[in-house]
Amino acid sequence: MQVFKLCIKVINKNKYLLLVYVVIFLVISFTLSLTAVREMETSTSFKPAKTEIALINEENTPLINGFRAELAKVATFVDIPDETEALQDALYFRQVSCIIRIPQGFTEKFMNGENVQLGKISIPNSIRNVYIDLCIDKYFNTARLYVQNMNGITQQELVQYLKKDLYDTTSVEMIAKGEKTSVTNLNYFFNLFAYPMLSIIILGMSTLMLIFNDKDLKMRNSCSPISSTNISMQFVLGNLTFTFVSWLIMVLSCLLLNFKSIFDFNTVFLVISSFVFAFCCSGISFLIGNLVKSKDAITAVNNVVTLGMCFISGVFVPQEAIGSSVLKIASFMPTYWYVKANNTIAKLTRFTLDTVKPVLYDFLIIIAFGLAFFSVSLAIRKKYRSYT
Amino acid sequence: MFIHIFTYRLKCLLRDYEGIFWTMLFPLILATLFNMGFSNLNSAEMFNPINIAVVNNESYRQNQSFKQTLEKVSTGDDRLFNLSVVSREEADEMLKDNHIDGYIIAEQPIKLVVSRSGIKQNIIKSFIDNYMHTFSAISNILEKDPGKLQSLINDIESKVKYSKEVSVTNAEPDNVLIYFYTLIAMACFYGGFLGMGEVSDVQANIKPVAARINTAPVHKLKTFFYSSAASIIIHLTEMLILLAYLVFALKIDFGTKTSYVLLTTFIGSIAGFSFGAFISAIVKKYEGFKVAVIVSVTMLCCFLAGMMYQDMKYIVATKVPILSYLNPVNLLTDAFYALYYYDTLTRFFTNIVILTGFIIVFCSGTYLIIRRQKYASL
Repeated sequence: MQVFKLCIKVINKNKYLLLVYVVIFLVISFTLSLTAVREMETSTSFKPAKTEIALINEENTPLINGFRAELAKVATFVDIPDETEALQDALYFRQVSCIIRIPQGFTEKFMNGENVQLGKISIPNSIRNVYIDLCIDKYFNTARLYVQNMNGITQQELVQYLKKDLYDTTSVEMIAKGEKTSVTNLNYFFNLFAYPMLSIIILGMSTLMLIFNDKDLKMRNSCSPISSTNISMQFVLGNLTFTFVSWLIMVLSCLLLNFKSIFDFNTVFLVISSFVFAFCCSGISFLIGNLVKSKDAITAVNNVVTLGMCFISGVFVPQEAIGSSVLKIASFMPTYWYVKANNTIAKLTRFTLDTVKPVLYDFLIIIAFGLAFFSVSLAIRKKYRSYT
Repeated sequence: MFIHIFTYRLKCLLRDYEGIFWTMLFPLILATLFNMGFSNLNSAEMFNPINIAVVNNESYRQNQSFKQTLEKVSTGDDRLFNLSVVSREEADEMLKDNHIDGYIIAEQPIKLVVSRSGIKQNIIKSFIDNYMHTFSAISNILEKDPGKLQSLINDIESKVKYSKEVSVTNAEPDNVLIYFYTLIAMACFYGGFLGMGEVSDVQANIKPVAARINTAPVHKLKTFFYSSAASIIIHLTEMLILLAYLVFALKIDFGTKTSYVLLTTFIGSIAGFSFGAFISAIVKKYEGFKVAVIVSVTMLCCFLAGMMYQDMKYIVATKVPILSYLNPVNLLTDAFYALYYYDTLTRFFTNIVILTGFIIVFCSGTYLIIRRQKYASL
C-alpha cells in the first residue's frame, strides 16, 4: 500500500489550503442561514402575508390614521429618510416593496368627493405591488361609498363605519401539507454544500496527481515491481478516502450548525444524498487530475468547472428561478440531479418506497455519473501510460 | 526605445495565456454564468394571474353578484385570477397537485381553502374580503337611507384606483444588474495582476528577468512606464470586450449615459492596474504571495460590494457608510449603479472623484517605493 500511504501524506501536507474552503463555506452558510427569509410556516393556521413598505405621511387626520391601521394588517412600515436617493436605494435593494406618499390636502379633497390619488413608487408589476394596491383600493373604495351616499358624514363617523366593515374577514381553511422550516433551511445548506465539496476534492486530488504525474517520478514508479492496475486502484482508494474524510468534516459541521433537525428522516436522506454526490465529485476530480498538467491550470479549471456546474444547476440560485433551457443543459451535470434530489427530499412528509422512489432514481443517476468519470479517467491513464 | 519595449512587452503579455484567462476569459465566463443563473430571478417577484377555482354549487350559481364580480376580475389582460369552475372534489385534487393556489366555496359566508399561507393566498383572501366589506358598507348605508340603492349600484360599478405610480426615474429597479456591475468592477481589479507583473518585472530580487532588465542601460522608470503602457492597453481592450459582451450579447442595461459608462470602465481599469502595482510594491514577498494578497483583497471588496450577496452593499451603505467609500470595488459598482438608476450625476461624480483619489494614492505610493531601488549584487 505504498501508493495509498503516499497519497495520505501529500494530502496531509496540503490540509490547511483545503481547510480554508471548509471555513469559508461554514462562515457563508452560517451568515446565510441567519439572514435567510423564513417564508415557510410551521403552524397549520393561515397567516396574513406582510410586506415591507415605506409610508410618507404628510397628513394626520382620522381617515389617514384609519388607513394606516388597515395597512398595518398587510404591511410592515420601514423608516426611510424622505430623500430621493435613499428611497430609490431602498426600493432597488428590496428593503421595501413600495413607497406610498399621502399628499397634503388628501383627506379634505377626499371628503369633498373629489378625485384624489396617493403617490406610489413601486416595482412595476410585482406581486407585492398588486397586494398593496388591493388593500389601498379596498379601504378608499369602501370609504367612497359612504362619502357619496351619506351626506354630511364626518370623518369620525366614517372611520367608525369602516372599522366595523373591515373587521370581518373571510374564513380560511388550511389543508395541511406540512412543509417544515428547519428542513427548508437544511435543504439550502446541503444544496450550497455542492460548491465547497467539489472545490476541495478537485483541488486536493489534482495537487496529488500533479506530484505523481511528474515525469521522473512516473518513470521511476513504472519500473517498480507493482502492477500499474494495482497502482491505479490504490490511487482510487486514496482518492475515495480523502473524499470520505472531507465529506465527514463538512457534514458534521453542517449538522452541528443545524443540530435541531438531526433526527429527522429528511436529514438522514440529505446526508445520504451528499454522500452519493461526494462519490461523484471524487470521480470528477480524478478525471481533472488526469487531464490537467500544471498547478496554475488547476485553479483555472477548478473555478470554471465548479462555478459553472453550480451556477446553472441551482446550487446558488433556486432551480425554479432558472430558465428551462438552462436547466436542460444542466441536466447533463451531476450537480443538477443532486440539487433535484435534495429538493425532493425536503418536500417529503411520508417515507414509503413510493415517495422515495424518485429520490433513489436521482441517486442512481449521480452514481452513474461518478462511475462514468472514474472509468474515463482510468482509460485515459492507461492510454497515457502506453505513450511513456 | 519606446516602440521596442512596448511591442516586446505586448508580445510577452499576449502569450501569457494564464494571465489572459484570469483577466479576460474568467470574467466573460462568469458573466455568462450570471446570465444563465439569474435570468429568471426577477420574474419570481412579478405578478402573474393567480390560478384559482370556485366550487360550482347551488349557492354559487344563485349568488349572481359574487359570480359577476369574480368573473369580472378573471377576464382581460390585467386580470387577477385564472378561474376554473369545478366540483369540490376536483378542486381538492387540483389544490393537492398545486394546479391552483386556493379555491373558493361561495356559501354564506364565503370560504377560502388553501394549502399554505403565502402572498398569492392572501391576495385571494383580500379579494373576497373586499367583496364582503363592500356588502357590509352597502347594508349600513341602506339601513340609514333605503332610497340610495340605485346610486350605490352605480358607485360600486365604478371602482376607483386610489394610487398612482409616480416614478422618479426611467430606470426599472432591476436588482440583478448589481451582480453584473460588481463583475465589471472585479474584472477591473483583476487588472491588478498586470500591474503586479509590471512591478515584479523590475524588482531584481523577485524575478531573474527583472535582474536582467536591471542590468540594461535604460532608465528604470522609463522601462517601467513603457511596459506599463502595454499592460494598460491590453487591460483596457479586455475591459471593452467584456463591456461589449455584456451590452450586446447579454443585453445588460447600463442606462443611457454611454460615454460616462466608458469613462467609468476606463478609470476602473487604471484603478485596478495601479492597485496591483501598489500591492506588488509594498508586499516584498515572492509572486504567489502577491497574487494571494490581490485575490483576497479583491474578493473581500467584491463581497462587500454585493457580488455574492447583493443586500450586502445596502447593509454596508446604511450601517457603515464610510466603508462603502473606502472600498474601491464598491465605488466602481456604485458608479455604474448611479449612472443606470439616478437622474442626477452627483453620486456618480462623488464615486469617480474618490476613485481618482485612490489611483493617485496607489500610483504615488508605487513610485515612492520602487524609485531608486539599487541592488548590491545581482
